Amino acid sequence: MAAIHFGYTISKPRAIDLDRNNLRKSDEILREMPELQTCIGCGACTAICTAGNLTSFNFRKVHTLVRRGEYQGAYEEMNKCMLCGKCRLVCPRGINTRGVVMLIKRKLGDF
Amino acid sequence: MTFYAPFCLPFILGAALMFLIVAWKWGKWLWLLPHEDKMRILRGLPTRRTVAAIGEVVSESLLHRRIFRVNPLLGYMHMSLAFGWFLLILTGWIETVAHIGFRYVPLQGHVFFKYFATGLEHKPVFDFLMDLFLLFVLSGVALAWGKRFYSRAMGMHRTTKHVLGDRIALSALWFIFPARLLAESTTCALYGGGSFLTGSLGGWMAEHIGVMPLMTLESVAWWFYSSCLGLFFVALPFSRYMHIFTEIPLIFLRRYGVRSSEKESSYDRFQVEACSRCGICIDPCQLQSVLGINDVQSVYFLRDRRYGHLRLQVADNCLMCGRCVERCPVNIDLNTLRLNSRDRMRNVPDERRYGYFKGLDRSSGEGKVGYFAGCMTLLTPRTLTAMSTIFEAAGEEVWWADREGGVCCGRPLKLAGETDSARKMMKYNADLFRKHGITTLVTSCPICLKVFREDYDLPGVEVLHHSEYILRLIRAGRLTPERGTTRFTYHDPCELGRGSGIYDEPRAVIEAVGQLLEPASTRENALCCGSSVANTAISDGQQVQIARAVAGELEATGADVIVTACPLCKKAIGRGTKGEVRDLAEIVAGALK
Ligand code: SF4
Ligand code: SF4
Ligand code: SF4
Ligand code: SF4
Ligand code: SF4
Repeated sequence: MAAIHFGYTISKPRAIDLDRNNLRKSDEILREMPELQTCIGCGACTAICTAGNLTSFNFRKVHTLVRRGEYQGAYEEMNKCMLCGKCRLVCPRGINTRGVVMLIKRKLGDF
Repeated sequence: MTFYAPFCLPFILGAALMFLIVAWKWGKWLWLLPHEDKMRILRGLPTRRTVAAIGEVVSESLLHRRIFRVNPLLGYMHMSLAFGWFLLILTGWIETVAHIGFRYVPLQGHVFFKYFATGLEHKPVFDFLMDLFLLFVLSGVALAWGKRFYSRAMGMHRTTKHVLGDRIALSALWFIFPARLLAESTTCALYGGGSFLTGSLGGWMAEHIGVMPLMTLESVAWWFYSSCLGLFFVALPFSRYMHIFTEIPLIFLRRYGVRSSEKESSYDRFQVEACSRCGICIDPCQLQSVLGINDVQSVYFLRDRRYGHLRLQVADNCLMCGRCVERCPVNIDLNTLRLNSRDRMRNVPDERRYGYFKGLDRSSGEGKVGYFAGCMTLLTPRTLTAMSTIFEAAGEEVWWADREGGVCCGRPLKLAGETDSARKMMKYNADLFRKHGITTLVTSCPICLKVFREDYDLPGVEVLHHSEYILRLIRAGRLTPERGTTRFTYHDPCELGRGSGIYDEPRAVIEAVGQLLEPASTRENALCCGSSVANTAISDGQQVQIARAVAGELEATGADVIVTACPLCKKAIGRGTKGEVRDLAEIVAGALK
């Protein structure tokens, strides 16, 4: 069946088991960057993202997953970011998003 | 005549140790220089550059002229210590020659000549000169004491917090000259001689103190003087006073064209240790004046880096606005040092990174003139629309590099320290520009401008900031904006002004559409908007705080509109004011008929 392409996709539903995931790294990240907890998941950062415009990189998704303890592939994904800083200018919560990118890469380099 | 007494020992040991350590440091740093830099030095040695370097050494290392420009009293303090001491050494040497001719005299013989020369006839001219220069140095010491208690008199709100090695050396230095005064005066009291300073003090002592206590005092005073010198010399290579010797080779290397780069090199050691920790860089830093952060400024960054306890937190917390660079009397390339520290701490080369650039080309249009909006301009579409209007009015055929999205210029990533990955972005964009055969590249973002000019290899392509480009159009009669009555004030973006030396073009453009009012801090002294991409450490609230302070100064001019020439500055300042903030392109486009 040919689906109509509206120019966006919807992520597949998935279950995250917070009891199974190891949240140690996630806690470390939130301790160093507490403001990340104020994220409302609005997706503005992703909507204007320079890298997201060219690839499937989804900044909000990656940092949300990392906070939930899903580290697999986060480093590689974050490496798509160009650190241009647009996301920081649009985030309604004033989160230091460039700092988040670098922090996640620093903490999850070995995943 | 033997030039030796037991009290000389501390001095001799200290001086010998110091010379060994300094020679070892210099030798090592020079040896470790990259091959090209060594060749630069060799090629530069027999040229006029050497002469120029000698001149600069005299004017900076001895006279400290650049500090005079910051504050005359501060300049005098530094000069009296450096130049005064130098005069004492020089005149002392001549004095020795005058007394005993060109004979070999050991170092301590020159330094403690007064002590050894008691049997010789007096030469009042030298007595007078030596006293005069001693007074000159002592006035500097007195000012240094005063500065500790009242730094504002020298135009400094904050002075540097020092490390232990510095405190030892500083205390020794403070006592050297008073000790010398006491030692020479007691000798004068016993054997006569001296001039208005040591002579008079000696005379007074001779009247009030008996001969036996005087003899004891003399021995104690000379021991004390020699010990102060020795202690100072031993502490010197490990303290900030290493700058006295390091600034000299630094000046020569700089004249021969050696520079710091995004990767650390042993030349950086010369720069790092040439910092005198004078603290002049503290006051201009807005992280200090607005946010009250006072452990990240260049002086502390260099200190931490020198002693090997630099933390990423400190390296990261800097706007790289260049306000401190502008003031540093040693002309240390502070931003580049900050950058290569970040590179060392963060750079992870990754061959596969940015694989998605392959085959990417979203550019549109055709023309010899290329326009690169850059990420930040894409986020401020009014600037983009205004540029489009301007191009159309001037009848320019334009190739749009990234209107439909593109790759960042690479400077933000570079400034964060990931220099190898940033190179990939630069290469991608440079290839794109070449592929489309443009001869002029216009950008409205100073961040992009700087990286295009400094890091891109673009032969045959002239890179222009839109302020330069618009001014050319106006001067060529291709653009005729109408001059209105609006009063504008202009914010110099750091990357455009201090970063690229472009101050006049934007001002000329503003004058073409209205009246220009200058804010209190302007041109080289302009403030930073606070949202610099170079800083990933301060919070959103702190950025707004800086923006408010900057906007406040701009509003104080009474202008109707704040104009800037950087999309990021525009966004940032807009958050600090309720008034209107416009990009240069917008006001020009708005004034077109
Ligand atoms: S800094 Fe990274 S995540 Fe943010 S907009 Fe730019 S590319 Fe996207
Ligand atoms: S823009 Fe800010 S608040 Fe919104 S999803 Fe991104 S990080 Fe969260
Ligand atoms: S960096 Fe320059 S201004 Fe700052 S303390 Fe060192 S010498 Fe002085
Ligand atoms: S570059 Fe600017 S922010 Fe950084 S230390 Fe110097 S004055 Fe402060
Ligand atoms: S955005 Fe403007 S004022 Fe701020 S750091 Fe960049 S050039 Fe400087």
